[in-house]
Amino acid sequence: MTTANITLPTHPGASIPDVTVIRHTGSSRIAAAACAILLVAMISMPWWGQSGHIRWVVEFSVYLAIAQMWNLLAGYAGLVSVGQQAFVGVAGYTMFVLASNFGINPFLAVWLSVLVPGLLALPTYALLHRLDGPYFAIGTWVVAEAVKLIVLNIGYVNAGSGMTLRVMSQYTLHQREVGIIWLCASMLLVTVGGSYWLLRSRHGLALTAMRDNPVAAESQGVNVKRLRFLIFVAAAMGTGLAGSIYYMAQLRITPAAGFNPSWANICIFIVMVGGVGTIEGVLVGALIYFVADRFFAQYGAVYMVILGLMTLLTALYARQGIWGLISSRIHIPLFPVGRKLIGPSPAKTGGTP
Amino acid sequence: MAQIILSGTGISKSYGALRVLQGVDIEVRAGEILGILGPNGAGKTTLFNMISGDATLDAGEFTFKGEALRSEAPHKRCRRGIGRTYQIPKPYAGMTTFENLMVAAMFGASLSERQANAFCASILEDCGLAAKANLTAGSLTLLDRKRLELARALASNPSLLLLDEIAGGLTEEEARQLVELVRQIRQRNITIIWIEHVLNAIMAVADRLLVLNFGEKIADGPPKEVIANPDVQRVYMGIEA
Repeated sequence: MTTANITLPTHPGASIPDVTVIRHTGSSRIAAAACAILLVAMISMPWWGQSGHIRWVVEFSVYLAIAQMWNLLAGYAGLVSVGQQAFVGVAGYTMFVLASNFGINPFLAVWLSVLVPGLLALPTYALLHRLDGPYFAIGTWVVAEAVKLIVLNIGYVNAGSGMTLRVMSQYTLHQREVGIIWLCASMLLVTVGGSYWLLRSRHGLALTAMRDNPVAAESQGVNVKRLRFLIFVAAAMGTGLAGSIYYMAQLRITPAAGFNPSWANICIFIVMVGGVGTIEGVLVGALIYFVADRFFAQYGAVYMVILGLMTLLTALYARQGIWGLISSRIHIPLFPVGRKLIGPSPAKTGGTP
Repeated sequence: MAQIILSGTGISKSYGALRVLQGVDIEVRAGEILGILGPNGAGKTTLFNMISGDATLDAGEFTFKGEALRSEAPHKRCRRGIGRTYQIPKPYAGMTTFENLMVAAMFGASLSERQANAFCASILEDCGLAAKANLTAGSLTLLDRKRLELARALASNPSLLLLDEIAGGLTEEEARQLVELVRQIRQRNITIIWIEHVLNAIMAVADRLLVLNFGEKIADGPPKEVIANPDVQRVYMGIEA
């Protein structure tokens, strides 16, 4: 079991030599630099890009954000939701109401609108948190359908006819593009960047432990119930932010579109095919979905069947998704969240630095 | 005499019609090693689950360091100083061995990241896992998973450590080394309750033995006396008087 001369540290505060723990790799530094360049390119796009390409970037950013939120939910908190469209829809509607009916600047209304999905997440979680696995999933879908039915019957938001964001006509096309692309950049910083920061923090350790074994995590001091609740609320707000931005770009929202279950399907496809539980996987999945949606959606049913088959095959033969397959062959973590123990720090032990 | 760190009175638990524990009383003194014996299904692990908070009590009450545990959640009990291992190891399979310990050190022992890094590295060294610090726990052998269970429980810096059959499946030499490690753990002023079927291992270190059978306590006392008890010999070793 161990050597004959066992010397356990007497307590955590005892004088124990400092150790070196590595948290970055060469590939992660390159990825960080690439992300910074892409972000600068993104926020300057209205000055050099075409309007059609800006719409592509908005769409891709929205897919990336909602999928990353779903990744936190399902990949870490073990909460498989198929009702994320509830948060897309309520945030979108809230933004339209704040901007159109209350005269609030639409770019500010986007940020205010995320409070409503956050509030909606509270009773939803209170209602569903005792359910497990597929029961929880069905529960989220039922809640989303119920919210959609309620919105369909509210005359104040034009019921089934939906709403149009006429206030955007006060801005020029260039101003709108600057506003929306900057909102997208902020959204990616908050959702994807925020997730990366969270996963690298001490809470990331708890989240990963909770993903792998919630019973053991609880008995090691992790407050699993509270963490799950916080992730559910945060994911609702992040998903809502993406919904608000998406419908601001569309200038129109209807209950059928805002509460469309395809929002949840997109999340599931991206995360499962790309790779659950990793940020890289979500990036890969979002790229695949975006390209497929852009260039093959015209094939209608055949396109849907192929997407479904890809999800099925991944679930059956490559549980860790495409990124999982890649990383099992080549070790190039782009967004590492782990901690690699190297040993006693050379500085503390008097060795060569 | 050392103070009582854990006491339980009238501990009872049923799963449907199956009565797993019936009015069991237990007392553990600080610094003591209490061994728990009993045939399969005697209620040993259920007793652990109720001390750690993984299962709720039907009747009775536990007191830890003079305060009732009531329905306190497992994570709070861990932070108060109750650490445990599981009979079937429950590693965080996707995390490395080192990260497994970091969870316990940062959340169970509430250490800062810097303190936890050094504390966990030291425990890995002492538990013979230093060379495997950066391997994912899912890739470890059963033996190493058992070592990891113990190391992770230690990383939560417990004052009461619940060991659930950690010697199961080990060779004689490995079990001997494990006993040495348990002795060392006691020197850190950690009280230990150890469920074990490997009699040699538990007899080597236990100050006291408690024997359960069908949810009832049938013996509690010094190891030699308990092993000589005719009821224990009949129930646990199949020796008829």
